[in-house]
Amino acid sequence: MTREAEPAADHTNPMEEHWVALAAQGNEDAFASLVRAHQDRLYRVALRLVGHPADAQEAVQESLLQAWQHLDGFRGDAKFSTWVTRILINRCHNVLRARKLTVPLPDDPGSDRGLPQAPATEDLAVRAQRRDAVRAAVLSLPFDQRAPLVLTVFGGYTHAETGRILGISETAAKVRAHRGRKTLLSRLQEWR
Amino acid sequence: MSPSNRADDDRLPCGVGVDDLLTQVAEHAHPRDPAHQRSCPHCRAALAALADLWAPVTELAAEDVRAPASLLQEVMAQIRELSRNAWHAVLTDPTGQTRIAARVVGAVARLAAESVPHVSVALGNGRPETRAGQSPSPTEIAGAAGEPATDVGVAGSHVIIDVQIAVDYGVPIAHVAQAVRSRIIEHLVAHTGLTTSEVNVIVIDVLASPPTET
Repeated sequence: MTREAEPAADHTNPMEEHWVALAAQGNEDAFASLVRAHQDRLYRVALRLVGHPADAQEAVQESLLQAWQHLDGFRGDAKFSTWVTRILINRCHNVLRARKLTVPLPDDPGSDRGLPQAPATEDLAVRAQRRDAVRAAVLSLPFDQRAPLVLTVFGGYTHAETGRILGISETAAKVRAHRGRKTLLSRLQEWR
Repeated sequence: MSPSNRADDDRLPCGVGVDDLLTQVAEHAHPRDPAHQRSCPHCRAALAALADLWAPVTELAAEDVRAPASLLQEVMAQIRELSRNAWHAVLTDPTGQTRIAARVVGAVARLAAESVPHVSVALGNGRPETRAGQSPSPTEIAGAAGEPATDVGVAGSHVIIDVQIAVDYGVPIAHVAQAVRSRIIEHLVAHTGLTTSEVNVIVIDVLASPPTET
């Protein structure tokens, strides 16, 4: 599982601090190490937030470029991953605002995007269909619920880390993530 | 504490909040009352239903999503492009490379311009050289904000200079601008070895000459 290799959300990593310090002095190799360490998680978050792989890749690339250009202003009072994820969240928000994203939701319970009527007959195709339904349901959430839900469920961030990324308290992050979960479940239930 | 709003919290006949069960399922949290949960048919039924609903979310979260292989390459290519074109001039020699920071080139250009009679270099923010579609960023400006306004667009061993000047009132501006252009080209090749491909002179002010005593 790839997630185990990723930097822990709430612990400082001396090697990462070293890379950040070198990168701030213009060391491109050090920055490449930071990109390698964080790109999978950043991409996963972006993909669940904006839905399209190409948009997600572009959002991550632009965020990393922005981070590189402003590394001299990064004071280390936040972790690099928190800081760059915050940039990414803003970037994704802008992408969605520009796109005025409307996700077609399966309003017909019998449509092939809906959840299966008979879970007992589940096979791989049905499970894939259920995951598609989750993807669409996540994209249908309002952004203030989607961002904390995606960060905690798909990004693996703690509520504390999510709060720091979104600039809200840990409690507020917990409340919003929970609201997102409830909305998500009610959408999935409607589609059954 | 559960993050749920108690007023909206649906409760099972046994009094347990559905929100608590959802948190338990989604976060793999421990039950508040394990003994009750083991024996309560309401809790067990609700947990089973929630687990079934949440299962595809867990499956989706467990998908091995990796960044495309091209992402790192794209980012680093853009960074190298920025480094090459905006921050340094590069003189390549068989024995190695000399990188001259854009602010150094800018400083030489400014001093050269100031050495021309009737010229003073204005202070102000310069125009950063940006590629199409990019917005200016402070990090792309040669020299920190507030430094004398000599802008330098650097690419390899060829440089483009934008210099903002103020000239004394009464002197022919076009003539002075041409002198500034020539002086900058001379100084840059003499002091840095760089070739100036373009010098754009922007006259932003005219200053009254000090009164001469009679």
